[in-house]
Amino acid sequence: MKKVTYIFAVILLFTSCKKFLEVQPQLQVDQDQAIINAGTAATAANGLFNLLAANSYYGSNFPALSYLSAGDIQWSGSQSDPNEITKHLTSATNGYVQSAWTAIYKTISQANYIIDKVPTVSDPLLTTTLKNQYLGEAYFVRALAYFDLARGWGGVQLILKPTNTASDNSDIPRSSLADTYAQVLKDLNAAETLVPATVSRNRVTLKTVQALKARFYLYQKNWALAEQFATSVINDNANYSLVAPYSAFFANNAVTTNESVFELAYTTSNTNGHSNWWLPPALGGRREWSPNDALVALLNNPAIGGNRNTLIAQTAPPGNLWYGKLYYRNPLGTDPAYVIRIAELYLIRSEARAQQNNLIGANSAQTDLNAVRSRAGLGTTTAATLSEILLALEKERQVEFPFEADRWFNLVRTDRAQTVLALPDKHLYLFPIPYNETLVDRQLAGANRNPGY
Amino acid sequence: MEIFLHKKKPFLLASLFLLLVVLAVPLKILAQVEPPPLINSKLVGTVIDSLTKQPLPGVVVRIKGVTHVVSTDGDGKFTFVTGQKLPYTLILSSIGFENKEIVVSTSPTIIRLKEVNSQLNDVVVVGYGTQTRKSLTGSVSTIAADEVRAKPTATFAEQLQGKAPGLQVSTSTGVPGDGMFIRIRGTTSINASNDPLYVIDGVYVNSGSLQRITTQGQANNPLSDISPDDIESVTVLKDADATAIYGARAANGVIVITTKRGKYNTAPKVSLSAYVGVAKAPKLWDLVTGPQHAELINEFYRNSNADAIAIASANGTTPATTYRFLPFRALTDNPTASPAPRGLPQDQNTYDRLNKAFRTGLLQNYDISVSGGNDKTTYYIGGGLNKQEATLKTNDFRRGSFKVNIDQKINDYVKIGTSNILTQTYRTNARVGDGPQGGILQSALHTPTYLPEFNADGTPGKWAGFDNLDVLLNNTNMNSTSNRLISNLYGEVNMTKDLTFKTSWSVDYNQYNEFQYWNSLTNLGIANKNLGTSSVSNNTIWTNEQTLNYNHVTGKHTFGALIGNSLQGSITNQTLAQGTNFPNDSFQQIASAANTTSSASESKYNLSSFFARLNYNYGGKYYAVFSIRADGSSRFGANHQWGYFPSAGLAWRIKQENFLKDVVVISDLKLRGSIGVTGNQNGINDFASRGLWGAGANYQNNPGTVPSQLANPDLKWESTRQANIGLDLSLFKDRLTLSGDVYNKYTSNLLLNLPLASSKGFSSILTNAGEMSNKGLELNISSVNLDGAFKWSTNFNISRNINKIEKLPTPVVAAYAAERMVQGLSMYTFYVYNQLYVDPQTGNAVYEDADHNGIINSNDIVPVGNALPKFNGGLTNNLSYKGFDLLVFFNFVYGNKVYNNNNYFLEGGGTRDANRAMDIYQLDRWQKTGDITNMPRLTAYGQNYTLSPTSRNIEDGSFLRLSNVTLGYNLPKDFIKKARMNSVRIYASGSNLWLWTKYKGPDPEINVSSSATVLGYDLGTPPVPRTFQIGANITF
Repeated sequence: MKKVTYIFAVILLFTSCKKFLEVQPQLQVDQDQAIINAGTAATAANGLFNLLAANSYYGSNFPALSYLSAGDIQWSGSQSDPNEITKHLTSATNGYVQSAWTAIYKTISQANYIIDKVPTVSDPLLTTTLKNQYLGEAYFVRALAYFDLARGWGGVQLILKPTNTASDNSDIPRSSLADTYAQVLKDLNAAETLVPATVSRNRVTLKTVQALKARFYLYQKNWALAEQFATSVINDNANYSLVAPYSAFFANNAVTTNESVFELAYTTSNTNGHSNWWLPPALGGRREWSPNDALVALLNNPAIGGNRNTLIAQTAPPGNLWYGKLYYRNPLGTDPAYVIRIAELYLIRSEARAQQNNLIGANSAQTDLNAVRSRAGLGTTTAATLSEILLALEKERQVEFPFEADRWFNLVRTDRAQTVLALPDKHLYLFPIPYNETLVDRQLAGANRNPGY
Repeated sequence: MEIFLHKKKPFLLASLFLLLVVLAVPLKILAQVEPPPLINSKLVGTVIDSLTKQPLPGVVVRIKGVTHVVSTDGDGKFTFVTGQKLPYTLILSSIGFENKEIVVSTSPTIIRLKEVNSQLNDVVVVGYGTQTRKSLTGSVSTIAADEVRAKPTATFAEQLQGKAPGLQVSTSTGVPGDGMFIRIRGTTSINASNDPLYVIDGVYVNSGSLQRITTQGQANNPLSDISPDDIESVTVLKDADATAIYGARAANGVIVITTKRGKYNTAPKVSLSAYVGVAKAPKLWDLVTGPQHAELINEFYRNSNADAIAIASANGTTPATTYRFLPFRALTDNPTASPAPRGLPQDQNTYDRLNKAFRTGLLQNYDISVSGGNDKTTYYIGGGLNKQEATLKTNDFRRGSFKVNIDQKINDYVKIGTSNILTQTYRTNARVGDGPQGGILQSALHTPTYLPEFNADGTPGKWAGFDNLDVLLNNTNMNSTSNRLISNLYGEVNMTKDLTFKTSWSVDYNQYNEFQYWNSLTNLGIANKNLGTSSVSNNTIWTNEQTLNYNHVTGKHTFGALIGNSLQGSITNQTLAQGTNFPNDSFQQIASAANTTSSASESKYNLSSFFARLNYNYGGKYYAVFSIRADGSSRFGANHQWGYFPSAGLAWRIKQENFLKDVVVISDLKLRGSIGVTGNQNGINDFASRGLWGAGANYQNNPGTVPSQLANPDLKWESTRQANIGLDLSLFKDRLTLSGDVYNKYTSNLLLNLPLASSKGFSSILTNAGEMSNKGLELNISSVNLDGAFKWSTNFNISRNINKIEKLPTPVVAAYAAERMVQGLSMYTFYVYNQLYVDPQTGNAVYEDADHNGIINSNDIVPVGNALPKFNGGLTNNLSYKGFDLLVFFNFVYGNKVYNNNNYFLEGGGTRDANRAMDIYQLDRWQKTGDITNMPRLTAYGQNYTLSPTSRNIEDGSFLRLSNVTLGYNLPKDFIKKARMNSVRIYASGSNLWLWTKYKGPDPEINVSSSATVLGYDLGTPPVPRTFQIGANITF
């Protein structure tokens, strides 16, 4: 009897084992439950903006790649990654390059899930308007992400489908630069028809799409369309305008001013790293980098920086160290990330008009440049010829966007970087394909890497 | 019984049911069939030591052929009232004495037991049981706690260092109770845990830190919740034969800890022990003086300016003016030029921050216990208090512990018992390792020495991204409290003479509370308008096990069999709240903060196992052991939930053969061999096989979700196959014993976070990929050199382990990028730019151009050295004369490399100017043609100081350490008897008294991170302290 009972008990143990070993996660959901109704579609869309705003992307890492490369920022910290970038000695193992690359593709991946899944959701609560908004946002963010990849790394692998298993999206060759930009345009066109025509500076609207289109066409040297799309945003001057003085768009904890066409928002629970890198220890940061003497001189020059000298400040004696204070908010890390400001659209249109030989007079290249200068408290420009205006625009961007992702990409776009920054070689126009990627993806290895690294 | 299936925890109930059935059956039988006792004889006896003639308490006395067992009392006396008629045969056994079989025909009787000098009869704790050392087939090391207790460490594991071959224990920081690097026979895994399994009195204890609030590097070690004073012995199970019974968690070896228990029939023994001592860092970093710093920076500027001019003239451009003015020039010299003048080098002061940050720490330990027992009950009750101040300020450790072990015989067949450890560990913490914010050591070590502590106006000076040291020393407010209960309850039934049933119910419960507050003076406080964090973590691991143990002897055949099942569950939940924007420094609770965030999480896993073991021994000559364990884990997908882990071990005691019987020189010779498979699932996410989306990716305070991991339904156990051959040899009547083992471990299906192309949107997937091998040799030699009034014994052990990553689909970069895992090489291989030499002509560093393309870039990063030692071991000498005893213990590590990341920062060649301190090795820089040095010319140009990491900072980490010296004195018996004391020992002890190493930093035994993929990485960790203490052990 005893043996029988024991054996029976053992069998009982075995049969209930299956259940015992089924433990469900409570922090996460299975992939196939991720986007299934209105609620989950909304959270996935929030997740998309979270990724776009992530520290490794617009949170600080990606803009840092640009402004650290632009010759105006000096390394004043201890990490080797930013040091390499400021000195144009960026190696393929550079951690900043790797994190930005990874973060951009993560963002793309999230957009792909939304583009793939949201149309298939049938939930009465998920109205067509909402569906279109989420989809439009996903197309826009994907366009922006590929645009950033294209201007940073050249033609890249176009991943347009979600990754559901580890073998998905494998062995995809790099597209040409033209094809990469073509994908950007395709996504922007898709977004344009879907996003709402309302005003939102933290999410995507028709004006956000048009603003990026203006920038896109500028990079494509399609001056007419660049002007046209810039105009369509500038003309909405009830909602988008140059706020004065310059500091009005960021000082005193300002957010979502009329200056911003697209700015990413941060909260105490979702912060970015900018202020930590920029602020001196006395203000809670580590001043890993800081404006160099040349930039400090430019910004402090009343004829060049104007009231944009509010971008910098100096620590107390005996340190007297200059630091950038575009990102300064307390609690630390709650500063917005500025993706597109209206000032850029003026400068885009100015350049587009100049290139179309509309140099001076009413509604000319000069007018747009002067709009930005006047807001900075400066007099009108003396530049009148095409080359003068292009040079003036280059210099204006230097002091208008010194701490944003702007000058470096424009110097590369206009092929001026080598001259202006005394670069030894043009291979430096592109960032290296991150070393880790070359290890795991043969399409990025060997001859598929960016040359020179 | 079907109802059980519908209940919440059918499994538990089923086990309970099983327990009741098995318990009830023999009781019922006993109740029904036991006839009134028939008394045929009464035997009264006394057991004494054959040599000293002293009575022996606690000797187990049984009558051969029946189950009747008694123990001797405090006076060595025992009584049998039995149905057996005299004469009959008694079997006596006692730890430390030879077993004796004796025929007794009269009462009363006196029986003499002979003490064993041989370790062969030592009882060794193995998985689910004990064995004598002579019958072992596996590779097992035991460490008596008394041997190692003199080292005043917070964690027992640290005391094991150098004590067992095959066991590598490396402290990571000098902070008491911090994490450690512990490996048994090498590193078997990359992304799963490499920590051994810890079993304390049958309880599987958590060794993974619950810490949530960062201390910037090493995490608090949960093993330091256990007081070393409570430990009786530590057994290290190494080969498959010894470990396979623990199956899926045994791939990294098992450390079985037995705590102290009372003995049957002993008078109450009160033990008091106490020590007080001091700890001091034996050596700190050698930084340059203020004037030296200034000279180096000026030289850097001079050289850089010369280079700028040279480059410009070569290119026909205007030279950059960045380096035109020396920073250290007279204050009146071009006062407005950039950089601003800082005064001449000789006018600079030197500010010593390091000696301000370190102190002489006070160590205290008090322990009291009472133990004893009668013929039915044993008890052990103990309490202890341990207080340790780290040499680095603000790090304090305090542990209060309480222990109760009780065994109770209900009748001759049923025994129940319990083991309990209840402790509270309180720490004040500091940020120690990596990262500048709040980092005490960073601030002390890395702030340039010429920069003053205070500004002219008296406000604290903050430099180079670091907090002010004074501010940190006075305002760091971080603490944690760990409440721990490790408890076991067992019932044992001797169902027949040969068959024992045991059920065991265990829990390891740990509640871990943490708090930090950064006030308005600290950088973190400034950044956040004060920052407060509070975290509460709870971890419960419960285990229920049943075993049936069968032992039978017929003639020369001894059979043993064990079957059992085990159920285990683990639940971890954590709640974290953070506040920023406080009204002022007086408000420190998060309730006062204007902005608060919080999160809570829970994770759990279950494990279900069945196991069996068969032992066979023929005539004490041939031994065979087979075991198998089946483990099912909820962490794996349905396809691979179950893993099976078999092993076999054989031993041949050659000495027992006729041809060796008469060889007097050889007192014992045994050959052992084993093979088996063990598994590993620790350290991976509880839901690692699922494709998941996680929340928390919020935007504008709206909830957001993003993918968190890719599905891998095929995920399964990592398995380690191990073969072991061992030889145990005893010579000259056991005066010299040698034990050697050779092993080959091969781990396949490595649980690996396989890197994926980021373009997939995921950086990695946890998968079974890759294979790793560990081959090694272990040797242990013990000798009794002198054995008279003056006693001297020596123990030496040495081990060598060769680790190799046999297969890896793609190289993996470790958590700290100077280390990589690459197929064909060992774990912890440093990948750096290899500086070949510094050109004596130019002073420029010449690096190995691995791809011979004339350019040094990331393609030229090559493997240079490895953080794993070639050999490690220890040497212990014990001497005693009359009441005096002396212990001298050395441990050594040879052939390992350390990446000195501190020096990477401190030898920046001037590139970090005012942002980092410099060390004295920077002074060796190349200065003029012909200089032979490995420290290149100071300049901002070229690659002298821009490449990272380089082989310049890879150093030999070999060391020989005088780990412990203890001199003790036992007060004469007749002297203390007057004070009604049984024994009094007073001692003085010192640890880490001497260190031989070529390493430039304070101590090569250091590690920045608790990440399993990082070893030998020195960054911002305080060195192992040197301690002196005096103490006393008293028993009543």
